[in-house]
Amino acid sequence: MSKKNALAALLLTIMSASAAAKSTLNLYTSQLNDDAQMTVNAFEKAHPDIDVKWIRDGTTKLTARLQAELAAGAATPDVLLLADSVTMESLKNQNLLTPYKSPQTARFDSALYDKDGYYSGTKLITTGIAYHSKAPVKPESWNDLLKPEVKNMTTLPSPLYSGAAQIHQAALMNDPQLGWAYYEKLKENGAMPQSGNGAVMTAIASGSKAYGVLVDYMAIREKAKGAPIEFVFPKEGVSVVTEPVAIMSNSKNPEAAKAFVDFVLSPAGQQLVLEQGFLPADASLPVPQGFPPRDSIKLMPLDAAKALADTEANKKRFSDLFGDR
Amino acid sequence: MTSMTMHQNASNHSMKGLLWLLLCLVALLSLLPSLRLLFSALVDWRQGADSSLWRVLNNRATWVALYHSVYTSGLGTLISLLLGSLFAFCLALTNIRMKQIWVFLFMLPMMIPPQVTALSWLQLFGSNSILLNSIGLAPEFGRVNPLYSPEGIALLLGIQHAPLVFLALRTQLQCLPKEHIEAARLNGASLWQVFSHIVLPLCRTALWGGATIAFVSALGNFGIPAMLGIPISYYVLPIYIYQALSSFGPSMINEVAALSVLMGILAIAIVTLQARMQRRYALPLIGMAGRSLGFTLGKWRLGIEVMMGLVLFAILVAPLLALIATSLVPTMGVPLNSDTITFAAWRGVFDVQSSTWRALTNSMVLSVSAAMVLLILSLPLAWLLVRYSSRPLRWLHSMIDIPYTLPGVVLAIACILLFSRPLPILEISLSGTLTIIFIAYLARFLTVCLKPVHSSMMQLDPAMEEAASLAGANFSQRLIDIVLPLLAPAAFAGALLVFLTAVNELTVSALLWSAGKETLGVVIFSLDESGNKVLASAISVFVVALVAMVMLLLSALSKYLPKGVIPWQS
Repeated sequence: MSKKNALAALLLTIMSASAAAKSTLNLYTSQLNDDAQMTVNAFEKAHPDIDVKWIRDGTTKLTARLQAELAAGAATPDVLLLADSVTMESLKNQNLLTPYKSPQTARFDSALYDKDGYYSGTKLITTGIAYHSKAPVKPESWNDLLKPEVKNMTTLPSPLYSGAAQIHQAALMNDPQLGWAYYEKLKENGAMPQSGNGAVMTAIASGSKAYGVLVDYMAIREKAKGAPIEFVFPKEGVSVVTEPVAIMSNSKNPEAAKAFVDFVLSPAGQQLVLEQGFLPADASLPVPQGFPPRDSIKLMPLDAAKALADTEANKKRFSDLFGDR
Repeated sequence: MTSMTMHQNASNHSMKGLLWLLLCLVALLSLLPSLRLLFSALVDWRQGADSSLWRVLNNRATWVALYHSVYTSGLGTLISLLLGSLFAFCLALTNIRMKQIWVFLFMLPMMIPPQVTALSWLQLFGSNSILLNSIGLAPEFGRVNPLYSPEGIALLLGIQHAPLVFLALRTQLQCLPKEHIEAARLNGASLWQVFSHIVLPLCRTALWGGATIAFVSALGNFGIPAMLGIPISYYVLPIYIYQALSSFGPSMINEVAALSVLMGILAIAIVTLQARMQRRYALPLIGMAGRSLGFTLGKWRLGIEVMMGLVLFAILVAPLLALIATSLVPTMGVPLNSDTITFAAWRGVFDVQSSTWRALTNSMVLSVSAAMVLLILSLPLAWLLVRYSSRPLRWLHSMIDIPYTLPGVVLAIACILLFSRPLPILEISLSGTLTIIFIAYLARFLTVCLKPVHSSMMQLDPAMEEAASLAGANFSQRLIDIVLPLLAPAAFAGALLVFLTAVNELTVSALLWSAGKETLGVVIFSLDESGNKVLASAISVFVVALVAMVMLLLSALSKYLPKGVIPWQS
């Protein structure tokens, strides 16, 4: 009997209901933990009548969670702030998003938001080349990773697990100079995939690999802390994920959701992005410390709808190429 | 007189009723998630060749991943068996010095995240190796590390799960009948004869139990194959499932479920094999021996001690040192010396405002309560499974392993599918509470606690219960005064394993947590993913230290506990 009592007591203590006088906004975000906290705090300060409940995780896990919750018919979030436009495009195709044309988007490059207003990019996370400071060649171009003197020294995030890597692959394959042949040459030169950007970062910082295809902020942040790592924006251009914000179509609090979208796109919200060490989507703002001037960074174009349609084929190509041992 | 018998019967009935109730609870706990997944896997069967299960089964990659899983887990299990039984036999049977410390230390590698072990080994033998650099032997960039291979994966899996075999075996070795061994020795049997004719046969059920749990643990492990397998495109099932997870669209859930069904079948097959072997080799014993054995090893003793020391260095000291070193530098990749050393991360750990403390409290509450509840559940459950063995019960027993074998993410998805809507009748929503994580933990770790108890129960001679019955002891008296004390060491060992695995657990809670309800694993992983390896390492070291302290506290309390329940005290 005592076991049952203990269980009941446990259930009670765990399910302490929270006071809900204010209107609540449920947010799923793939921002880093501290950044997410910072964004939520700033938003709640600007909108004291809204209480934000948020969950942070990698984009893959969050989407999995969302799909499971949808399948169970359970409550889902109001707003999403996820890593990439391809994920958003897939949610849009499933009729899970509701369009909202924020007045703030007027200040942005039209490539950064969906023309029907289903999602809007909030920042630019680019993928370039990171290298260990003791690496033998200082790369400037994607083709430098194909040189014989860097054989077996390169690592890259695998599109089979990482959304940013999927977009990188789609952007690179769109480029007539690089294309799929580039991946074949990378493989020939002994490049090894990793599960994601974090693993690439670890491999380079720990010195097990000299070069890596990596997102900008990771390398630049760690370099500032003294890690033996350098980052270049290759001259052919970098691929970009835009961490778009979007409103779910079954949101129970659409007004608060719109306020949130407006906030992250507003000058104050974009200033926050800058402080967090990312390239803001708003081009009128300066670049964060450690980044080269904005006009020296060439962005590779991406068609999110096409990238989504090609995803499975691209993944299969990648897995066939790198999985032939 | 008659009224007394009546009363006895009534208490027997209510006790038995309670037991069956408990059985239903367990069935619900471990069957529900598995059945929910099976449902998801089969829900679109009408689509014929387009259905998830058909697509999965028709894909060659599925079978390759399955083969890889069986190969690495099988080889890993052999390594676990080798290491775990080496330590268990040496510590239980010989006159090795400082036994308690060895046992204590050999429990700790379980606490070190497998990725850290993998990384520290890669660093130990990589081009940045402090050790190899200082003797000028560090390899150049571009050399491929031999750990990136199926055998490398198996090696690390084997090391990671060796303590499981060790503990399963140790509880059994403590029950060895010393009289038989002494009689054999008096009759001139050699050490080897005693070992192969008495000790080994009596340990077979424990060996099978330990091997099974090592195998299913290896089967479900994601961290090690992700780190060592992905770079060489060597996919095992959990990684393949993760690939399916990162594809878009609602059919993803069905596909993941279909793959999980395959893993479930594999787990059932392994456990059925184990049960068959255990039943064949069970040799009933009458319980704990008076004192521990101590065969004199003579000149071999030092050699064996050195060898055990080396193994312990590789699996515990080296990774722990790597973790400590990483926690003391500004960022990863900076060499540790008097100029670079900083305690910033440690200040971060002890910052009361940080999420670390909240996560620590959550993880402690979850893992301790899960360990306690499972301890209480597994004792009567093991008794039922052995004494009332029947076909449905055996099926139930093999199903218990499924939630543990599945990748944590999949179990989490099953829990979301089951519990994210408000519960019927009660109208309480478990979504976003610690309760949903707690339920998932109970489902996942039941087998970890039950395995050692069950194999001890198999070795328990029913003659003792019969004798007690003849002497007039009623059902609950027999259970409480005879069965419980004899199973206590195994049950505590099992509960300790649950605590050790749950406190650091990541993959289940990864999908189930919400703000304020994070677990230690989630915090560490989150930091790791944001590139804050330094703080992540500091927290990992802190957790290992904390668990060591909890274990020391248990030793201090050992005189109030039944004999043999603290594994490192004999």
